[in-house]
Amino acid sequence: MDMKTINMDANSSVIDKTGDVSLSTVSSLNIPAVDVKIAAKDVRVRYGSKEALFGINLDIPKSKVTSFIGPSGCGKSTFLRCINRMNDTIDSCVVRGAIEMDGVDVLNKSVDTVLLRAKIGMVFQKPNPFPKSIYDNVAYGPRLHGLASNKDELDQIVISSLEKVGLIKEVKDRLNEAGTGLSGGQQQRLCIARAIAVNPEVLLMDEPCSALDPIATAKIEELIDELRGAYTIVIVTHSMQQAARVSQNTAFFHLGNLVEYGETEQIFTSPIDERTKGYITGRFG
Amino acid sequence: MTELKQSMQIAHARLKKRRAAEARFKYFGVAALSFAFLCVATLFTNIISNGYSGFQQTYVEIDITFDEAVIDPSGQRDSAVIHSADYKALIKASMRNKFPDVSKRRELRDLYGFVSSGAIYELRDMVINDPSLIGKTQKIWVMASDEVDMLIKDVFKRSEPESTRPVSNQEISWIEAFEGEKRIEKRFNINFFQAGDSREPEQAGIRGALVGSALTMLVTLALSFPCGVMAAIYLEEFAPKNKFTYLVEVNINNLAAVPSIVFGLLGLAIFLNLFGMPRSAPVAGGVVLALMTLPTIIIASRAALKAVPPSIMEAAIGVGASKMQAVFHHQLPLAMPGILTGTIIGMAQALGETAPLLMIGMVAFIADVPGTPVDPATVLPVQVYLWADSPERAFVEKTSAAIMVLLAFLITMNALAVMLRKKLEKRW
Repeated sequence: MDMKTINMDANSSVIDKTGDVSLSTVSSLNIPAVDVKIAAKDVRVRYGSKEALFGINLDIPKSKVTSFIGPSGCGKSTFLRCINRMNDTIDSCVVRGAIEMDGVDVLNKSVDTVLLRAKIGMVFQKPNPFPKSIYDNVAYGPRLHGLASNKDELDQIVISSLEKVGLIKEVKDRLNEAGTGLSGGQQQRLCIARAIAVNPEVLLMDEPCSALDPIATAKIEELIDELRGAYTIVIVTHSMQQAARVSQNTAFFHLGNLVEYGETEQIFTSPIDERTKGYITGRFG
Repeated sequence: MTELKQSMQIAHARLKKRRAAEARFKYFGVAALSFAFLCVATLFTNIISNGYSGFQQTYVEIDITFDEAVIDPSGQRDSAVIHSADYKALIKASMRNKFPDVSKRRELRDLYGFVSSGAIYELRDMVINDPSLIGKTQKIWVMASDEVDMLIKDVFKRSEPESTRPVSNQEISWIEAFEGEKRIEKRFNINFFQAGDSREPEQAGIRGALVGSALTMLVTLALSFPCGVMAAIYLEEFAPKNKFTYLVEVNINNLAAVPSIVFGLLGLAIFLNLFGMPRSAPVAGGVVLALMTLPTIIIASRAALKAVPPSIMEAAIGVGASKMQAVFHHQLPLAMPGILTGTIIGMAQALGETAPLLMIGMVAFIADVPGTPVDPATVLPVQVYLWADSPERAFVEKTSAAIMVLLAFLITMNALAVMLRKKLEKRW
């Protein structure tokens, strides 16, 4: 997809010329002419009385990697967790607005979160394999959703998932050993295998490499690049180099607002907003 | 230069002080530990030295003539007649034969009391099992009375003057006569583990209390474990965090500190008087102890559930497990070691509890071993309490022996808790 088609809607630019970021300022920086997988419309989140997101408007393109960057506490993880309704598990968290995936609002109460999370897989910051065997880790999702009718099919799913994350060579002789016995990078790839075993359409990754060493990080990044075609990937990262390396689009969050969103190259080479510029040049954040 | 030297001296002095404080703290710790160890050692030495002899019992061998005229005068071998025959007379005759020169009433009474009053049941059972014994004379080992037992075990000293000794000189002469023929000896007291309670120390056994305790614990476990774990799961994972659940939480914590006798009173008022549960029965005791154990189990279970890393729950929910699936597939199994440890500690506490059971009548004298949870029964700690209250000297060793059995039970349960923990523990 030609990224040159990205254009910015000047009328709803985030940059409040007066420098005053008001709640009514709606940041809508969209990427038209691209197959949109997820469209967020005025998503607002608050934890109790504390507002965390002030109206996010964002289109995530299909089969691309979209990265969210921004300083800690800017709401990027909160927004990510809205997409698969993980925030439902937090009692005090209230989400308003709409997040449409293929035209269906996932925030609607009638949407079944179990089915939704089967379609939107998630990988977390810290590798969190279940303290079970490698096989059972990957097989857990398919078993839950009844994706395999017999043992052979389940084996097939497990093997192919491990293949996709490039883990099969390393673990094929010890599928029955504990997943927690693997190295950090292997554990994270196991978690990705677990997520893709249920055949999701979207993969959400919440700082998947922040607990890993550079070599393991490189492997995960390679993997993200490989998975890009088959899944729509959204990744939250603290590393701007990582965002630059793996993503096609980048969104910059700051203090609960979407400040700037566009083609990764453009964000990193010629950011429009002063805050974006300040962040990527390391002046704050 | 001198300034630097000064500040270094000050730093050095401070360092010395810090090290001294550290050393002092270590000594206090060692002292506290030594004191605790000494107390435990004293307790155990005292109990064991008092109680080990409780596992032994003195037996004497006497010649019994199964006189047909006494057992079955009609000669029809009617089981009812055999059952209700005067076996005491056989023992009296045997003792009179052995010591023919005893004639005074008082002395005769002592002589007849030389063997345990329980010996007649032994004789009766022998005859019922084998009626052909009637008419024969046999040498039979029977239990000696508790006073003879105490003298053989050297609790009553032969060297003491007769006036302060519960066993008379004459009785000692009888014992010596048996000793001369090697017809008196100490044996392992198997009766202690087979019989229920008795007014006679030599016949008293712990089986009734053991079975009573086991039945009570069963009822307690069956009620408190599922209720406690479910309540913990609900409060920890599903309950809305509002004023009402906060009130419930505070009250659960308070309940853990309520004196146990209050639970006994509650059991008496509600379970016995209102619901009409059987008095003195393990089912009522079990319910009362379950109430007492519940807060312990709930608090321990909640702590164990909370200790499971939330990342595991997130992982499960992230692949599309429902909250309940995430809890039951991952959180609960991972919390199980902690929950089981808490449960066993709660159960051990319940096993050693006496006060609430006094209120619901489990302190009654019950000689029969209970068969079901609705039969009257007593439990180990109450049995200890009952025996400790008895005047006979021989009950002292029984009391200590019962404490040893109770302690063995508790140590086994705690060892089980440690083992379960080690076995089920998983690292992540």
